[in-house]
Amino acid sequence: MNGHSGADAGQRFLHKDRFPCLLEQLEAMGYSVIGPTLDQHAIVYDRIRSVDDLPRGWTDEQQPGSYRVRRRTDDAWFGYVVGPHSWKGYLFPTPVVIARAAREGGDWEFKEADDAPPKFAFLGVRACEIAAIRVQDRVFLAESYVDPIYEGRRTRALIVAVNCEQAASTCFCPSMGTGPRCTSGFDLALTELSDGFVVEVGTAEGAALLATLDSSEASISQLRAAQAARRSASEQIERSLDTRGLRDLLMDNLEHPRWDETASRCLSCANCTMVCPTCFCGSVEEVSDLAGGRVERRRRWDSCFNIDFSYMNGGHVRDSIRSRYRQWLTHKLASWNDQFGTSGCVGCGRCITWCPSGIDLTEEVLAIRGDAPVSEGSS
Amino acid sequence: MRDASRSAAAAGLRPWRTHTVRVREILAEVEGVATYDLAFRDESAGAAYRFAPGQFNMLYLPGAGECAISISEDRATSAGYRHTVRVAGNVTKTLTGLRPGDTLGLRGPFGTSWPITDCIGRDVVLVAGGIGLAPLRPAIGSLMRNARQFGRRHLLYGARSPESLLYWRQYEEWSQAGIRVHTTVDRADSRWTGHVGVATLLLERLDAIDARNAVLMCCGPEVMMRFTIAAALNRGFAPDRIWVSLERNMQCGVGLCGHCQMGGEFVCRDGPVFRYDRVAPFLDVEAF
Amino acid sequence: MDVEHVRYALEELRFLAEVPSEVIARLADAASLQRAASGSVIFREGTRNANLYLLRKGKVALDMKVPGRGSVRILTLGPGEMIGWSALLGEGKMTAGAVALDDSELVVIDSHGLLRLCESDHHFGFQIMRRMAAALAQRLVATRLQLLDLFADLPAGAAAPVRLEPGDGP
Repeated sequence: MNGHSGADAGQRFLHKDRFPCLLEQLEAMGYSVIGPTLDQHAIVYDRIRSVDDLPRGWTDEQQPGSYRVRRRTDDAWFGYVVGPHSWKGYLFPTPVVIARAAREGGDWEFKEADDAPPKFAFLGVRACEIAAIRVQDRVFLAESYVDPIYEGRRTRALIVAVNCEQAASTCFCPSMGTGPRCTSGFDLALTELSDGFVVEVGTAEGAALLATLDSSEASISQLRAAQAARRSASEQIERSLDTRGLRDLLMDNLEHPRWDETASRCLSCANCTMVCPTCFCGSVEEVSDLAGGRVERRRRWDSCFNIDFSYMNGGHVRDSIRSRYRQWLTHKLASWNDQFGTSGCVGCGRCITWCPSGIDLTEEVLAIRGDAPVSEGSS
Repeated sequence: MRDASRSAAAAGLRPWRTHTVRVREILAEVEGVATYDLAFRDESAGAAYRFAPGQFNMLYLPGAGECAISISEDRATSAGYRHTVRVAGNVTKTLTGLRPGDTLGLRGPFGTSWPITDCIGRDVVLVAGGIGLAPLRPAIGSLMRNARQFGRRHLLYGARSPESLLYWRQYEEWSQAGIRVHTTVDRADSRWTGHVGVATLLLERLDAIDARNAVLMCCGPEVMMRFTIAAALNRGFAPDRIWVSLERNMQCGVGLCGHCQMGGEFVCRDGPVFRYDRVAPFLDVEAF
Repeated sequence: MDVEHVRYALEELRFLAEVPSEVIARLADAASLQRAASGSVIFREGTRNANLYLLRKGKVALDMKVPGRGSVRILTLGPGEMIGWSALLGEGKMTAGAVALDDSELVVIDSHGLLRLCESDHHFGFQIMRRMAAALAQRLVATRLQLLDLFADLPAGAAAPVRLEPGDGP
């Protein structure tokens, strides 16, 4: 790996006029390019076939419980923060066939999904999203059993990151140590200037791709402009989450009165888990043909906010909104660390924006911290 | 980064790999409970299959779905593997429609197992409630073989009524192998001369035991296990020698789907058999 | 009967574990030993009985009669356990019948004598009542677990059956 050691040595400049070549080259290499595009008043991730598909001149404004797209005063291509989608929609798709069963000569035969994994190039991946992919890598790839669907897509994917140049009111990536600058985990990382992009190389694949493009060595003024643009994102971040002793704080306060208070506002709608880029829960449903001789096993995203999620013979383990919100928050910010050695939160703020009640997990933690006894020396 | 994930995947086990198994025999046990003896159709898969007492399989009935069933096999060698199932939901109900010769799917074995080697040189108390005797039966088998390795061995078993005592035909065989079988029921009329009352009372009464050094394994409804643990701690059992088998909604069996999460554990992968001190903080938290 | 013999029997009982020896000595004065052959009735439900029993050996069942259902077995008791608490704490009217299921040995304590001892010496009384309370608490928890009917076959998805009949209100 090279490119971001020293004083931004080896960075290149790609003019916007030359950017279509990047898309063409990726297509030629067999990638489906997925990137930001405007759809139904939101910036979502979808197939990008030309630069015209990008949300040029659009931005987003986010508050707890509120998301609006607005016209920018300039023509920036990546001048937004993050939308409701995350890349898990492509790496951990829903629904997806994970296995099949068929009756052959009276006996049931079973096959794992004959998955021909698509080859995705992700364009416009933010620093918090790289962190989220890393979290899901840990969940799906690092234990003895690996998720074949995720693995097939992930190992083939190429990541073209784009650094944030602005922040939403809901962002708190510095608290989680995940952003706003992309520092690793990408093949290429771009910083957008008015006429082009300063490009950093993260991997050999990224370098090979860049070599096919008509780029020039980035000038000192371009490097300075890129640095200033990235800094403006950092400077706009207002929200924070104090992670000191967070795991023990939450696990030691499972009966805190705040859970009841939050439960009175939480609708248990599962939005937070759907937009969260790290939530990985799924359920399998059986889809059979009319004769019942061929069955597909389809996995869909599921959520710990759905009451049936914890159903066992005779009842639901978590039968109240209080218990389900507590499950989500303590998993995300506490027991996730026990299980995976990392927080389940990357500070992207989606759960705050897309909560219809505007529940803000940073405020919830603050409330529990506020009148909880401080535990010493915990991490 | 991509290389790292590739190498991890190369070593990865495949969670959805499902074997075709054939029903060899269906044994009616007690009301609503039957034992299915299942044999691998593919002999090489059957020969490669190994399980440890306490582990479970996901049994798959296409169209109905999967359910986690502990392996209740107690024999050292077997042509098939026994699964004792209580009808409780859609999948287990569909299972009752199968006949010998029919096929179904099996994934597994999954999860952790009973600490048989920890029992060497120690007294052992097994406490079971209802169908919870099924996951303990392979452990009983292990405690019967190489019996001299172990100290005094007791099985305390509680069921709803005399008619619902599971595996009653085997108690004599277990007793002859040196396992003291104590049964108790919740409900009986005065013709029943065995014990009436919950299994925790049997534990409180148990005299011939070196509680401080003994190993206790428990499987039954969670409420019953909580009180059994309380009684065991009261009797002087060590928290790190008490083991419980927990039940949660399990779908993938390997810690990927999230359903069975409990604190820092996935019950399917880090359990179902847990050392009590590892789950103690969560067992008493309501709806956790 | 030899008081020393009774005292030895009391010292062996789990019910009196960790009770100071002077308390046991005083208890022995009010106690005697009794055998009950398998199948013999120790006391009948609804009758008055002045004795509290501590089971030394064997097994005793507590039964209650329910019209239309006959004799329902509520609980069986084993060595070290207490039987007949109503003699000490109630009005002496037995709430259940007790029958020996095996050849059994019991320590029989006259409840009037015991109560007098408790009243005259509150320290002694506290020791005794604390054991009684602990034994009843254990039995209450066990009864609750029985009441939960944990092994009942519930239809999938059904909650525990709770049925209120008309007139069940307070």
